[in-house]
Amino acid sequence: MADSREPPPLFNDDDDSRKDDDNDDLFTSAVQSPVSELTTPEDQTKQEGAGDPLTSPPPATSFPPDPSGGDRPDLFESCEEPSVGGFSSVPLEQPAEGGGTQQVSTDAQDPPPTPPTTPSVGSLVEIPLIVDTDQDLQPSTSSSSSLTRPDFTLFDTTPDTSETPVSSPDILSPPTTSNTSTSTTTSAQELSASPPSSSALLDLSMTLPQELSSEPPANLVDASSVEPAVMSSFITPAEEASVLDAAAPTNDDDDDAAAAAAIPTNLAGEDPALSSEEALVTVYDSETPEEVSLEDETDDGELFDPSSTPKLQLNQDPPLPASNILPPMGAPLTPPVAPITPTATPNLTPNVTPAAPTPVTPVAAARPSAEQLESESGDEFIEISISDPQKIGDGMSSYMAYKVTTKTNIPYFRKKHWSVTRRFSDFLGLHGKLVEKHLHSGRIIPPAPEKSAIGTTKIKLGSDKSSDSSSTDFIERRRASLERYMNRTAAHPTLRSDPDFREFIELDAELPRATQTSALSSAGVLRLFNRVGETVNKMTFKMDESDQWFEEKTQQIENLDAQLRKLHAAMEGLVAYRRELATSTASFAKSAAVLSSVEEHSALSRALHQLAESTERTHTIHHAQADADFYHLSETTKDYIHLIGAVKDVFHERVKTFQTWQHSQTMLAKKREAKAKAELAGRMDKVQQAQDEVAEWEAKVERSQEEFDRISRAIKKEMEQFDIVRVKDFKDMLVKYLEALMTSQQQIIKVWETFLPEARAIS
Amino acid sequence: MNGGRESEVLHFSWLHVDRVDMLVDELKFTMDETVQMAVDDARSGRSDTVDLNDSTLQVDISDALSEREKVKFTVHTKTTLPDYNKPEFSVVRQHEEFIWLHDRFDENEDYAGYIIPPPPPRPDFDASREKLQKLGEGEGSMTKEEFNKMKQELEAEYLATFKKTVAMHEVFLTRLAQHPIFRTDHNFKVFLEYEQDLSVRTKNKKEKVEGLFRSINRSTDEILLAATQKDVDDYFEKEKGFLLEYHAAIKDSTLKADKMTQAHKSVADSYIKLSTGLSQLGTIEGPRLEKFINKVSDTFEKARKVEGRVASDEDLKLSDTLRYYVRDGSAAKDLLYRRLRCLANYEQANKNLDRARAKNKDVHAAELAQQNACERFEHMSARAKEELNSFKTRRVAAFKKNLIELAELELKHAKAQAQLLKNCLQALQEE
Repeated sequence: MADSREPPPLFNDDDDSRKDDDNDDLFTSAVQSPVSELTTPEDQTKQEGAGDPLTSPPPATSFPPDPSGGDRPDLFESCEEPSVGGFSSVPLEQPAEGGGTQQVSTDAQDPPPTPPTTPSVGSLVEIPLIVDTDQDLQPSTSSSSSLTRPDFTLFDTTPDTSETPVSSPDILSPPTTSNTSTSTTTSAQELSASPPSSSALLDLSMTLPQELSSEPPANLVDASSVEPAVMSSFITPAEEASVLDAAAPTNDDDDDAAAAAAIPTNLAGEDPALSSEEALVTVYDSETPEEVSLEDETDDGELFDPSSTPKLQLNQDPPLPASNILPPMGAPLTPPVAPITPTATPNLTPNVTPAAPTPVTPVAAARPSAEQLESESGDEFIEISISDPQKIGDGMSSYMAYKVTTKTNIPYFRKKHWSVTRRFSDFLGLHGKLVEKHLHSGRIIPPAPEKSAIGTTKIKLGSDKSSDSSSTDFIERRRASLERYMNRTAAHPTLRSDPDFREFIELDAELPRATQTSALSSAGVLRLFNRVGETVNKMTFKMDESDQWFEEKTQQIENLDAQLRKLHAAMEGLVAYRRELATSTASFAKSAAVLSSVEEHSALSRALHQLAESTERTHTIHHAQADADFYHLSETTKDYIHLIGAVKDVFHERVKTFQTWQHSQTMLAKKREAKAKAELAGRMDKVQQAQDEVAEWEAKVERSQEEFDRISRAIKKEMEQFDIVRVKDFKDMLVKYLEALMTSQQQIIKVWETFLPEARAIS
Repeated sequence: MNGGRESEVLHFSWLHVDRVDMLVDELKFTMDETVQMAVDDARSGRSDTVDLNDSTLQVDISDALSEREKVKFTVHTKTTLPDYNKPEFSVVRQHEEFIWLHDRFDENEDYAGYIIPPPPPRPDFDASREKLQKLGEGEGSMTKEEFNKMKQELEAEYLATFKKTVAMHEVFLTRLAQHPIFRTDHNFKVFLEYEQDLSVRTKNKKEKVEGLFRSINRSTDEILLAATQKDVDDYFEKEKGFLLEYHAAIKDSTLKADKMTQAHKSVADSYIKLSTGLSQLGTIEGPRLEKFINKVSDTFEKARKVEGRVASDEDLKLSDTLRYYVRDGSAAKDLLYRRLRCLANYEQANKNLDRARAKNKDVHAAELAQQNACERFEHMSARAKEELNSFKTRRVAAFKKNLIELAELELKHAKAQAQLLKNCLQALQEE
């Protein structure tokens, strides 16, 4: 079993982990207990599984029956992306879950007599396939009634949910449900990629899945809108039991909607997991009502019911949930599911969409609407400080956590002053999400501090005493840069009202872990590929700039970049020399102290001793000044080098939009030509087709042109702000620095003033 | 002593840099204000070792010329001593001749009881040359403005080194001239008066080997004596212990102080890049920031000059004082060794006398030798005591003077810089 499990996890891992995360909070207690030993290997695999998405496609494709098989990879990715941010938060729990899953799988095989499972026992890898096929072939086979149901529901819900958030407001169309597998995948993709499509909807959808996946029930209450969905997703496993009992039909619909929204991430994550029987088993185990109840306490009942209901509903909605249940893993992807889904979906979707808003509100009343957020006017302030860096855990799995304290008078924050704890990768995850959502619309997103493998490793491996000055330096440097990063982001009105940002600073719980930030993760590899692609694109494509403003601005940015780099090098040099001065002054002070103790002439000895003390004090002053050099000058300049990078990204984004526009135009021209040819040839049937295509491309041209205009306008606005802020920042920086220099000089004056009488006293 | 100085001119040239042709022209300087100032500094630095009231023999270096590896010093003398042909005259001497003079004193048995003034260190411009070369290589990578500033800094640095070299040589001569015994030395007279080249050649191989052999011999002897010879006089025993410790401590301090001043210099130099970098940034940023940044950039440029002054003053007042007493302390140590050697000889003579008496053979010769040795030792001990005391007085006075000056200069520079920054901040606020 163990061996067989390993391979599936590779692509499942991410999903499992997500699922785990979701479940963890709710079911942690139950899940953990079984897991303990097993978890570790899985975790490792998960980490390495980063590459999975890439690798996963082959296995996914292996499911022949599934029409969605091709889509699967997308699902995985999509799942990952939203969930990524959250992953980090649940590290402890994850292992437990993983263990749970494994155990479950074993259990599942034994207890569930389902025909598909039994054969699979020998080789797990094959099993998933078999299951799928079975489902496809026998959609109705309900061998494992209760167990299978939850899975199914999950799948069903997932498509629905994914669609629902996006579509729910406008499009709650039943057709989507029909192609559950495909629709889910697409929806997931959209969610992950969300930015380009409907902005508001997307945002909501995005946030929901992420939050849901990441947040435990406790959070739900606090967390604004997302929570309901989360609840549903979490509940799902547990729900089955409870749902069956408690779920009311009406509620179910509402719940479903909410659940659906939440589910996409979960589902996506689960799908892979599901593919392996283990995942299913785990779900069952975790689902046990008892466990849920324990964790959730009184609230759980309600929460679970709604959440569970969706699953149950799905199951329930179809007359025979049990039969479908087995396929759940494959089901979402696989066509066999379809029979179930349509039945469930039509019911769910129509109901859900209207219901969706309602469920959310009851759970989390705090949810501020997007419009409210945007409506903020000037005179508001937000100030974020990062403090109390602390190392959590031991060895390579340890990480640094920071306290993020926010002070604000902006009304859409529920408090004026509060703190949360975040780990470093959360910050990166936040940045990733913001870039994903806002870069395409031409916003300059302040870059997050870079990951430093060396510094981090040092800290991780360093003993707890960590008295090592270099690592404390490193931590302080990182703390300061995180603080600058957060305040830069918060200074941007759009970014600070982004749900992800607000969740980041407000949610008093761990965020789901951001696996994407790891360089070794699949996302990291993907990013690398993308970056290479972009670079090639940047190099090969020279935009024929029509806008003079942009032409000048681009040039200015280039110059600025070069100059800032030069300046930064000069500052680094200054810092290094000043540090050297400080240390050499200190060593001279020591040496002078020795000399004074040797000196036999008492007055001279005293003066020398005084000299030693004076130089010791100047050492401190130089040292402080070196820090000022560094934090005031060097770091700010470095930040701006990175910010310029972000500006370039935005510019490039515009170039890309331009490219699509150009492409549309050439295509349109071609189509027109084709149409003209057809007309000349007098082939009316073709003319009609060509006419349609022309119209289609005309629309596309129009759209892309609008997009281009929009992004150009947005960038201009952004740059205006950027210029203002930059000038101000630089002025502040220089003034602060000069003040620091002056303070140093004044201190030096004092030092020598006290020394002078001693020198005069030598006789 | 300070008369007739106004006409001094220092000439330099940089003939040993590869890219010289281009650079040399630019790097020629004649004495400007700063040089004058530095020379004054150097003079005041040495005045502590000179009794200004004693005008029987006044020696200074009125001019110096750097030519390739060689530095030619013009030694100017004013005297009332009847031995000299003229009351005032000048000769040209090179570093090697100074060393020759020192060795004459060092080898003279008559002077064994005195602290021989330490010889001046070899002129060493390698560091400056190296930097200049680097600067020449890196010329392409920086702006003209930056290059010029860096070059100026280097020139100033070179000038400072040069002046220090001159000062060291002068101090050596003035100490000899001021010493009641040394100043009547015949070799010294020759050195000061003989108008031709003394044709001191650098030691040939054989002499070098001999010298090496001698010094090894001597140092083993020194170690042996230090270990075996028990001093009869507590004063010298104590003094020996002190000087050993002191020498080690002050040597270390000198090293550290040098590092410190160097780092300080580097800090000052890095302001150059900062300043030019900022002003270029201002140009790119345009009117919104340009004026503001230019003010800051100017301030950095001025601050850099102040910082540079701080560094060179620390070097002059602190490092150089320490450095000089490393060498003077070493000379005092030599004196103690010579005395100890003398003591050992004396005891040996005693032993010989005892043996001669026991054998009743050559008693008279032994007695004579013993008496001689005794006299020598007594005489030497008395001299040495005086010398060590004067060494102490000299040291304390020099430290006092230089430490006060150091503190005053540090204060002056720090105040200037604080004021500069304050003005700048005010100007910025007014914007």
